[in-house]
Amino acid sequence: MAFIRAFLIILVIAIGLTAVAAIDVENSSDERIVRIWFSHIEQENQAMRTIAEEFTAQTGIAVEVISRRSIFDAPRDFANNAELPERPDLVFMQAPDIGNLVRSGFLSPLDLDNDTRSRFVNAAFDAFTYKGELYGVGYSVDTSGLVYNSDLITMDELPRTWDEFFQTAEKLTIRDGDGRIVQRGTLLNPKDMWFNYPIIKEFGGYYFGQLRCGTYNSYDVGLDNEGMLEYVNKMKELQAKGLTLTNPNATESHISAEFAKGRVAMILYGLWDASIYQSMGVNYAIAKLPKGRDGRISQPLATVQGFVINRFTRDFDASLAFLLFILQDEHQQFLIEAGNRGLAKTGERNPANISVIQSPYIRDDPVLSSLSEIGSFCSPFPNIPEGPIWYNYTTTAFRTIFFGDRHGREVDAQEMLGELADAIRNDVALINQIPDQAAFSWSDYVILTALIAVIAFLAIRAARGRKASATEYFGGRLSKRESLLGWILLFPLFFLVITFYVFPVFHNIYLSLTNYSGIRLRDYVFVGTANYREIFTKGIDGLVSMFVWTVSFAISVVSLSFLAGTALATILEKVGIRESKIYRVVFILPWVVPSVITLLTWRGFLDENGLVNQLLAFVGVPSVSWLSNPLAARVSTILVMTWFSFPYFMVVASGILKSIPKDYYDVAKIAGASRAWLFFRITLPMVYRAIFPMLIMAFIMQFNQFGVYLLTEGGPPADKLGAPGATDLLITYVFNTAFNTKRYSMAAAYSVIIFCFVGLLAFVSMASSTRKVNELR
Amino acid sequence: MEISKKGISKVIVHVILLTLALITVVPFLYVILISFGKNVIDTSALFVREFTLENYARLFGDTYFLNWILNSLLLATATMFVAVIIVSISVYCFSRLRFRGKNQLFRALLIIQIFPLSLSMVSIFRIFVSLGLLNRLEGLILVNSAFASAGLVILAKGYFDSIPFSLDEAAMIDGANKLQILFRITLPLAKPIVAVVAMQSFVIAYNEYVIASTVMARDLQAMPLAVGLQSMIVGQFGVNWSLYCAGAVLGSIPMIVLFYTLQRYFVGGLSAISEKG
Repeated sequence: MAFIRAFLIILVIAIGLTAVAAIDVENSSDERIVRIWFSHIEQENQAMRTIAEEFTAQTGIAVEVISRRSIFDAPRDFANNAELPERPDLVFMQAPDIGNLVRSGFLSPLDLDNDTRSRFVNAAFDAFTYKGELYGVGYSVDTSGLVYNSDLITMDELPRTWDEFFQTAEKLTIRDGDGRIVQRGTLLNPKDMWFNYPIIKEFGGYYFGQLRCGTYNSYDVGLDNEGMLEYVNKMKELQAKGLTLTNPNATESHISAEFAKGRVAMILYGLWDASIYQSMGVNYAIAKLPKGRDGRISQPLATVQGFVINRFTRDFDASLAFLLFILQDEHQQFLIEAGNRGLAKTGERNPANISVIQSPYIRDDPVLSSLSEIGSFCSPFPNIPEGPIWYNYTTTAFRTIFFGDRHGREVDAQEMLGELADAIRNDVALINQIPDQAAFSWSDYVILTALIAVIAFLAIRAARGRKASATEYFGGRLSKRESLLGWILLFPLFFLVITFYVFPVFHNIYLSLTNYSGIRLRDYVFVGTANYREIFTKGIDGLVSMFVWTVSFAISVVSLSFLAGTALATILEKVGIRESKIYRVVFILPWVVPSVITLLTWRGFLDENGLVNQLLAFVGVPSVSWLSNPLAARVSTILVMTWFSFPYFMVVASGILKSIPKDYYDVAKIAGASRAWLFFRITLPMVYRAIFPMLIMAFIMQFNQFGVYLLTEGGPPADKLGAPGATDLLITYVFNTAFNTKRYSMAAAYSVIIFCFVGLLAFVSMASSTRKVNELR
Repeated sequence: MEISKKGISKVIVHVILLTLALITVVPFLYVILISFGKNVIDTSALFVREFTLENYARLFGDTYFLNWILNSLLLATATMFVAVIIVSISVYCFSRLRFRGKNQLFRALLIIQIFPLSLSMVSIFRIFVSLGLLNRLEGLILVNSAFASAGLVILAKGYFDSIPFSLDEAAMIDGANKLQILFRITLPLAKPIVAVVAMQSFVIAYNEYVIASTVMARDLQAMPLAVGLQSMIVGQFGVNWSLYCAGAVLGSIPMIVLFYTLQRYFVGGLSAISEKG
């Protein structure tokens, strides 16, 4: 009876939650209110609240300031919440994110008077202008410049042109007696395009061409022209002189770290690590970039952060009034000072307001003032939906150009650049070719029929086996009472599963038949099977080998972790209880520590000169390119993922071991069986039998594994740009491809196909082993 | 002779265990090292020169770490209780009751989990909106309970099946009803797997990031730990790894403590069943 009561309580809670939620709608009152999503810096939020109070006192309009965890979540969260009762009216976000939101119809155009415009640097408005229309106002300009160590190079010695920059860099590079570099004039990342973009432009390469009115022409990609080839040759020259990163896996953080150690004179970087340079005693400063050959100013790329107004705002006038209130000079001053944490002057916010730039707070600080000077001459990153495409390709392309392909062979730079530009153009085309309406053709019917056939097959297979169920346990016929009890007891589980699994799955199937995408986040429509048609007609390069790899990866990880976990659990039974308790706590660490950090740690360990290779060198084994060689990368991926999942198997197996009747072992021992025999013939099969369904689950989880991506980023990359890399799993690859062009409906279609596919696989393995398990009984 | 042979095998066992423990613990030690390090920019090289407690102090001073960890503890504990109740009841049904459609339901439960839902956040978000669960810990408790229970029912069924049915029959002959059998006989015997279910559901809820980061869009203070920690590393450049690692180290402690206390349910002599049976 106690149980029935507990069950009723759960039921009531579940229903109650739903009911409470239904009542909890907007409390409509006449009070005017503006809600603003603001910063992740609490001091800055407090400053905004103070300003808001003043605004309320003057106008009677209430303001709610909401702290945000990060500006990177703003576009997604805003699109999700834009029309809900708790929607924000003003949102603080990065200008490059607005393209999709404008195209999807989430932002209000703004009309600002000349007085306001004259009080901010141009970038504040340029960055938020989309196709000639203004959608926001910049507040802070996140940019980079020439960061230098003034102990190694004085302000007067700073290069004025790029040619001088390369000469100075070479001059300041010092080698010791053995020819090893002890100090570098500069350190560049050859794979990078963000910080090096001014140099690229200097040589004549460019990302998206701009029409005279400032609008981007996204089909105009200047990454395969003559100038770009010149740039590559220049970088190769610097590479030969040791002025670039030598490790193909290294990133900007290595450059910053070298600078923090005082071993580099000049780097192209921002001030994100300034507090670290400070405490490491590096006398850092930042200066404008060198000028171009004909005196042209080199503009670093910048991310302008500012405020936009929700098109679904409850009160546009009030929102605009508050925006203008924030934009007043004294309020900008107050906010910027709070954002830079007052006297700490961290440089986290670089003002776009001219009066703030000229204020003593900024002017009297050499670093902040030069940063703000750079901010007035920066080039905002393109805010069109096509903007982020390059991220998917440039690193791989430049890595191949400067470090060779995955077999270490040198490649033709011109060819690679052409491939890079084409890949970007292709994606631009994909973004812009999203269908607007359903267009049925005969192939749609073929695809639909095939899909329905697969689902029907799965359903029929699921429905079979009924005969076995009636006779499986201690005989007898099914009693009605027992059926009722069964269904009632299973209700909570299926209530949850239907809500959080079944509905999303069907919703996802629906989405896969629409044109839901980055530029159609709101008004997406049903377009039929266009996505499926594209998948089946275009196909994926290297699909078969990627699929084989994914399956073998999942099987290897599951079986290795199962073996290791069970063996460990068995061994732990042999040691004393107290020791085994401590061992177990150690062994569960990979399971409970947040995997982001341990994955990155492993990535560091497996690096060319990471811990693993250092250990190998210690015992005299030559080092292995764990992550750069395709085969080694696959092996390391499997081993690292096993490292993550064996603890769970160990814990489960420990539990199961207790259920194995002791008599089995006693009988076998009397018959003279060895320990290995006991393990392989009794323990392993018994555990296997008990957790078989879980093994299938584990297989599915490994099949849909995303952690691998953090470890290897799918690399080493394939020979063709954009094709799956050696460790790309099916799911990470297709989702990356679909998400890079923000075609979410395509991603949904992929998940439906993968679902059908893995479902079939699971069935085959279940059917074959149910037989085996039954034989065991 | 016998004793020394035993001694040798014991030494071998310990050598094996110590080696494995070392492999397991080194990455974690490294994380601890970074968490005490001053000025760590780089996670791939040993860059720790000075040691400081500053990162831990900043965790409590500059971030809402305390709020986050309390939220997560509440979330994970609630999820654990819900999941343990739902899983024990449901597995009992799947394993012991006979009713129409049982096997189909069980298969459907497995099949539905194949769907790569972690990327259909829009769909989950819609559910949260229509149930009014946005920005509420209750919503996270429900969704984590759903995911934990669905997966763990499948794990636990095998164990329940391996508990001899003869015990149930004996109890039935003594006049016990189904629920008495569940609570008096089956569950006590299934303690090890219930402990695993408790542990795993706690870990799932505690470490879940994707859903929480999508549906908790309001106050910074109301985030669970996984989301709060992640907010320290999403920056494009200049990530403060020391602070993150300090959070990760402190954040893992509750799970380690929970595991240590739950351990007694699956450690110790073999086969409680055969003794009682």
